[in-house]
Amino acid sequence: MARKVAVVGTGQTRHGKRQDVSYPEMIREAVVAALEDAGLGWEHIDAVVCGSMPPPMEGTNAPHLWWADAMGACGKPLLRVATCGTTGISIAHAAYYHVASGLFDVVLAVGAEKQYEGESQGTMTTVGEPFFQRQFVAGAPGVFAYQCNEYAHRYNLDEERVRAAAAEIAVRNHVDALDNPFAHLRQRITVEDVLRSRVLAYPIRLLDCCPASDGACAVIFAAGEVATRITRTPAWVAGVGYAGEEHWVGDSDKVWWQSARQAALQAYRMAGITDPLEQLDVAELYNPFSFQELIFYELFGFCGPGEGCRLVEEGVVRRGGKLPCDPSGGVLCTNPIGATGLIRVAEAAMQVTGKAGAHQVEGARTALAHAIGGTQQINGVMILTSLD
Amino acid sequence: MAGKVAVVSWAQTEYREAHDATIREMVFRVAREALDRAGLTREELGTVITASSDYWQGISCSNEYYLDAAGGYLKSGAKAEEDGALAFMYAFMRVASGHFDTALVVAVTKGSEIPPLATLTHLYSEPFFQRPVGIDDVNAAAMQARLYMERYGATPEQFARVVVKNLGNARRNPLAFRKATLTVEEVLRSPVVADPLREPDLAPGADGACAVLLAGEETAKRLTDRPVWVRGVGWSVSSYYLGDRDLLDGSLPDAARRAYRMAGIANPRAEIRVAEVCEAYSFQELLWCEQLGFCGPGEGPRLLEEGVTGPQGELPVNPSGGVLAGNPYCARGLVRIAEAAAQVAGRAGEHQVEGVRTALAHSYHGLAGQLHSVVILGR
Amino acid sequence: MEPRILKDTIALPYQWALGPVNTRFFQEFKERRIFGTRCPKCGRVLVPARAFCARCFVPLDEWVQVRDEGTIKTWTYVAYSYIGQPMQPPYVSALIQLDGADTAIPHLVAGFDLRDLDEVRARIKIGTRVRAVWREETEGTILDIKYFEPV
Repeated sequence: MARKVAVVGTGQTRHGKRQDVSYPEMIREAVVAALEDAGLGWEHIDAVVCGSMPPPMEGTNAPHLWWADAMGACGKPLLRVATCGTTGISIAHAAYYHVASGLFDVVLAVGAEKQYEGESQGTMTTVGEPFFQRQFVAGAPGVFAYQCNEYAHRYNLDEERVRAAAAEIAVRNHVDALDNPFAHLRQRITVEDVLRSRVLAYPIRLLDCCPASDGACAVIFAAGEVATRITRTPAWVAGVGYAGEEHWVGDSDKVWWQSARQAALQAYRMAGITDPLEQLDVAELYNPFSFQELIFYELFGFCGPGEGCRLVEEGVVRRGGKLPCDPSGGVLCTNPIGATGLIRVAEAAMQVTGKAGAHQVEGARTALAHAIGGTQQINGVMILTSLD
Repeated sequence: MAGKVAVVSWAQTEYREAHDATIREMVFRVAREALDRAGLTREELGTVITASSDYWQGISCSNEYYLDAAGGYLKSGAKAEEDGALAFMYAFMRVASGHFDTALVVAVTKGSEIPPLATLTHLYSEPFFQRPVGIDDVNAAAMQARLYMERYGATPEQFARVVVKNLGNARRNPLAFRKATLTVEEVLRSPVVADPLREPDLAPGADGACAVLLAGEETAKRLTDRPVWVRGVGWSVSSYYLGDRDLLDGSLPDAARRAYRMAGIANPRAEIRVAEVCEAYSFQELLWCEQLGFCGPGEGPRLLEEGVTGPQGELPVNPSGGVLAGNPYCARGLVRIAEAAAQVAGRAGEHQVEGVRTALAHSYHGLAGQLHSVVILGR
Repeated sequence: MEPRILKDTIALPYQWALGPVNTRFFQEFKERRIFGTRCPKCGRVLVPARAFCARCFVPLDEWVQVRDEGTIKTWTYVAYSYIGQPMQPPYVSALIQLDGADTAIPHLVAGFDLRDLDEVRARIKIGTRVRAVWREETEGTILDIKYFEPV
């Protein structure tokens, strides 16, 4: 019988340009906040899992070793996981398995990035191997633009309609971020602003694209009986899913994206979710590029293939709608990549425990957190619920 | 309590200065072989945990390069950075949780394709305090060796004996990279790299890949008649800055304590029959033996001189030749585990130690050994 | 007190072995021949040629030549620049499925004026047929094909 695991506390830094602090100091900010949220001291933590993007992002190798002291990990088991964009959710998964294994009762998960300290796109270009792909993938906007551009064509949708729906998502996220004190970008924009902003990698325009952020997130996981002693509002991990694809970017369909679909189905199966639109109250999706979210709606079963635009047009996926997506402002407004997937988990936990403050979705009890990564290769999902 | 988990098969490439094959091809080979040896199909495989490191590969998000080669297509998987032994720990937890029946662990590094160890470990140092004064793995180890000599009267001759023993052991390991019949005098005549360390005291970088397959109790018994049970695991990290630490007393005792407690081992010296430890620098084998509790502080050299840790001794250390026989960086910790498993299963061929019921595998990474891990395997 | 910033540039040399399969692939490529490998289980022809099929998890040894002409599966117009970018923007990066192949490879599409995005969008669509434009002197690297041009 699998051990129950819950999130008992979360913490985030103020994300954005954090050149006021060193990497370890920034991380400590999130860790202290999480411990405070859980009402725990660092001595209560049994093990630590952390991660970030490729170390060349910030130019220090094996950065977990540098962060050890700031995370209160000395004298404890420490593991660093690194899975590109999905790192944040992989950290959450790893912490989950630490506890589910029976080896540890309370585990701290920490994700961080300090993109202002390095060359993000230059580093991400090195994700492509040098023989066949590196010359062409053009950083994250370049490689993910492939699927963004393919989407409209696949379902025979009017390109302008797709662009408008994507722009609606971008506007929704930016406006929602104004209610999130941690968010990086906090600016009111309009659909016109998005459509007129300059092209980065077609069809992705500047305002369709996430920022490069500094930030850290810490989440504390605990075993069932321990969790209920720590907090009256544990966020139970109901579902976990993850899948990776081939190394070659051109091998698999990325519009009907199998790794995303399989990750969601694994999590749904575990959580007993058969009707996501009904059973989920909020979703924090990993959308560094607005267009992608349309694809995720379909892959995660919020609607049928090709119907993503309709969901946006009918107001289903905005606050006040049937399934609000990214009420935190999402990845589009805050993307310290190594933390981002974990921030989705933290936000999901905050939502189902009523701790999301100004961006709280009323009555949220079950939330989905998601992350993507690689050169369009990997997806991870975690479902949290306050229902016992 | 964690469910019972066993190592059911493993595979290694030869450790060479340079393999012609790419990382993808090497990973496929060991993954395929480990699965075949256990009679498990890729479809049946539960999950894949790999270990590698971006600076050590030159291809960032390193596991995205070879995850499908490790059998990971449309499977749940992850990468533990830097140390295959930690990937093993993570895989162990996934199986122990009951969520996965089997887990394949793969670790790989091609030393031939990357900048030298000193360059890459110089980058372990943060840019403000340690990096500008040139702290890297080699000079951190040299300072640790100097301290070891100072505190316990250890000598370069004793360090050289480790080199002679391990490279001699490697002659009975067909996969080993560096193997030789050396004398202490020859070692002591070699060029100084960072005093008191000479060339042979340093493990040579190598290309290599290793895969280990784990299974839950029921499945393990089905897949093999010689399951190697994971009886205890432990890992622990110490403080980062060299000046904040006692370089001779780090996180290894804590890692070992956790593993011993889980395995119910009260007297490691008596209860462990063979150990594979990560001696990236010769003297570290002596120090790690002490920190593992095989003897008291400063007694490591005596253990070696009395033949206890020699191939015919009561507690042979590194019968495979250890890391001194070849250092495939991120894979070296997993190789120790595979070698220890082979010892327990009676499948270590020419370097098999007799009568192994319980074996220990150790790994570390980080300057002067900042993050250590210990695995206890047994019948 | 003003927060300070320390700057540096880290440049590291790497030398990646091509391995026997890539070596053979690029030997052929140098002669302007493009090869894939066919998987005996799923039957797919995987381009570029590779050592194994990730889905069936079997080694591959049947080499199949594919044409240097194919179809655009998807594309993007890259208009932003960053340090370490291999190509100078603006450029069109696309996934191209060569005739005979079951997978697509990334490469460039060019051979016409790239400065105006609307004009590019008029010329390039998903489904557009393209043909490789090879260099005069080939070296055995992926850039022996300068780019693909619309047919």
